[in-house]
Amino acid sequence: MACLEPMLRRRQLLAASTTTLPLFLALSACAGPDPLAGPPPLSADVRALLAAVAAEQQLVFLYKRTMAAYSALTPALGTLLAEHQAHLAQLRARIIEPPGKTVPVAAPARRPIAGTPAAALARLRTAEQAAIAAQLRRLAGASPSLAQLYASIAASEATHVTELDSRLHG
Amino acid sequence: MPKMPSAEAEIQALQAALAAEHTAVYGYGVAGAMLTGADNAAARADWESHMNSRDTLQAMISKLGAAPVAASAAYQLPFTVHDAPSARRLAAALEDGVTRAYLGLVAVTNRTLRTFGALAMQDPAKRAAAWRGSTVAFPGMPAAALSPRRGAGRARA
Repeated sequence: MACLEPMLRRRQLLAASTTTLPLFLALSACAGPDPLAGPPPLSADVRALLAAVAAEQQLVFLYKRTMAAYSALTPALGTLLAEHQAHLAQLRARIIEPPGKTVPVAAPARRPIAGTPAAALARLRTAEQAAIAAQLRRLAGASPSLAQLYASIAASEATHVTELDSRLHG
Repeated sequence: MPKMPSAEAEIQALQAALAAEHTAVYGYGVAGAMLTGADNAAARADWESHMNSRDTLQAMISKLGAAPVAASAAYQLPFTVHDAPSARRLAAALEDGVTRAYLGLVAVTNRTLRTFGALAMQDPAKRAAAWRGSTVAFPGMPAAALSPRRGAGRARA
């Protein structure tokens, strides 16, 4: 309404009928949000958070598939999987979703599982390293609180790389 | 509460990290005395890492025009160390303290310092896991920070 103020006083606006006011607003070329234009675009921090959720889902999916394919690895990988599930829960908890709606997150990509346990461990290691790099890229535009969450998850993933290394070479 | 100027907040976070490194340097001296063999060698290597990190932080703080916080002659350790298991627990606790301090740097607005803090916390997190014998999901994060209040640190979709 700010753009109308130079033209109309409050009393005049109140006097306008319900039929003439919309017509006047349309003709006065007020630039305001269009209620029919759909939801507003997601902000950069929300997009980064959704990407972090999707990446974490991918890691959870990869660990589960690896453990399903190579049950002997389950004792070694179970703890790391549980930590990724905790990461996912914390990241999801940071998103405020509109009532009754769930923000869509990209589905995990289905890639064939590696042919040997060692190759599967190496693939997990590569995925953890990629996840660390992605968390660090998210730091710059994040709020202090979210940046700390990303950094802490990256540090956790760094400990996973060490753990996977010890399984591969230990 | 008035917002702290960013340069002051950066120096304060760096000083906190330096203080944690001073504590680790002192604490490893105590822990190392109770360790033998491979554990003693690991403690020595970690002690040297903390001295290098301490020197780096001192240089960074000086470059910002502040006086780096000095080491104390002695530090109150979280518990008494009387044998190898308690020495290993102390080493893990020292690394946790350093990890927490570097995570504090990630909260500053300076992007370079944020990245520095995030990278610097990875080594102590790994060393803590090695001394503890297990990993944790959220290195350096206080438990209270993991249950965000509604609207605090959350992003609206």
